[in-house]
Amino acid sequence: MIRQSYTAIVERDRLLQGEFVTEPYECGWATEAIFYVRKLESEGQVTGTHVRVQISPDGIRWCDEGTEMILTNAEMDFVKVKHFGNWLRLVGELPEKAMARVIVALALKE
Amino acid sequence: MRSILNSNTALSRFDPLPRVIHYDDFDHGLQGWSELIGNYEDDLGKMLPEFADLRPPMLSSGTMWDTGTAGSMAGTYSLKIATRPRAEHIAVGIKRATWRHRGPIRLEAYFTFKPEATELCLSETDVRAVGVLFDIQDIEKRWMPHLRYLNALNGEQVAKWQFKRKREPLWQIGGTGKTRSHFHLAPTGWEDVPNGHQILCYNEIATKYNWHYLRVDVDLATRQITKLQCNDRVHDVTGVEPMVIPAMANLWCMLNVAFWAETDKDKRAFLYLDSVLLSGEWE
Repeated sequence: MIRQSYTAIVERDRLLQGEFVTEPYECGWATEAIFYVRKLESEGQVTGTHVRVQISPDGIRWCDEGTEMILTNAEMDFVKVKHFGNWLRLVGELPEKAMARVIVALALKE
Repeated sequence: MRSILNSNTALSRFDPLPRVIHYDDFDHGLQGWSELIGNYEDDLGKMLPEFADLRPPMLSSGTMWDTGTAGSMAGTYSLKIATRPRAEHIAVGIKRATWRHRGPIRLEAYFTFKPEATELCLSETDVRAVGVLFDIQDIEKRWMPHLRYLNALNGEQVAKWQFKRKREPLWQIGGTGKTRSHFHLAPTGWEDVPNGHQILCYNEIATKYNWHYLRVDVDLATRQITKLQCNDRVHDVTGVEPMVIPAMANLWCMLNVAFWAETDKDKRAFLYLDSVLLSGEWE
C-alpha cells in the first residue's frame, strides 16, 4: 500500500504581527509532519524569530512539543515533527515593528 | 442490486442509484476532498474576502477531552470541516468531478455536527448551520442547488432546512476579463423548505454526537432538486429551486459537491462526514 499523505494550508495570506498562533489541525492519523512557512512579504526583524511546535490531545489545550523553527531571510522555512497526536499548531512572536504575510503549509504523511 | 448492497456491510446503509460516481469512506483518507477557495488573478488579495479562508478539511477521530476517541460511524476517521472561532465564519470542503449523462444524481452521506467543546455546557445553539451544495454546469446554465440545516441563529434554536435560489452579485476579478466570482454562501436570500422544521439528535453534552443520514437527489436534465431526506424525514421539495446563472467559460460538465459549516458564535463549529456516496443512473 502507498502511504497516505495530505498537505493542509493552515494559514493563507495571513498577516503575522506580535504574538501569533496558527489554526489547530487535527492529524493523529499521520506519523510525520513538516510545517513550511512561506513569506510572501515581510518587514522589520523577522529573521531569527523562534517559532514553536505545539501538540494537543483535544485541540483546546496545548504543550510545547520541543521542536522549533527559526525564521530566516529566505522565502521558505520549515520544521520537521515526529511522534505527535492528536493536533498540531505553531506559535511564535515577532518583534515590535516586524510583520510577515505568510502561507503556512502542513505536509503530513502516514 | 439491493441484495448485493445488503451483503456489503459498508454499503447496505445506502440506497444508491445504479452507477457509483464516487464513494468516500474517510477511513481511507481524504478521498479527494479539499478546501474551497475563491477565484483570483495575480494576487491572493484579489479574492472576494468571504472566499479567502474556508479552511482545509481534516481527518478526525472524533477525539474529545473527556472521553477520548469516539471514532466515526463505521471506523475511526471522518472528514471534519472546521470553522475558525469567529462568529459567522464558514468552512467549506469540496470534491470536484464532471458528469457524463444528464440524468438523475443522488448524494447520500452520514454526517453530524458539534461545536468545539470549550465550555462545560450544552452548547446546542453554537453551530449556526451545516449545508450541502452542488455546482453543476451544462451547455446553457450553471446551476447550484444549495440546502442547509439552519440549526440556530443569534443564539436561538431554529432547526429547519432551507434552500437558496437568490443569486449573489457576480464580480469581475483581476484585469483579464476571464475571471469572475460570486459568494453564493452569503447569509442573504435563504428560504424555508416547506414544513422543513426538523429536530436532530444533538445529544446531551457537547462531546457526544450521533450520526445522521442525508439524501439529496437532483436531476441534471431538468435542473431540479427532486428529493431531500434526513433520517426519517422526507421533506417536501415543492418550489425548492437551485440558484441558476448563465453558463460560464471553462466549467463544462462540472459536477462539484461541497459541504460547509457555519458557526453562530466565537467558537469553532465542526461538521463531520463519516462517508459520502454520489451515484447516478445511465446505460
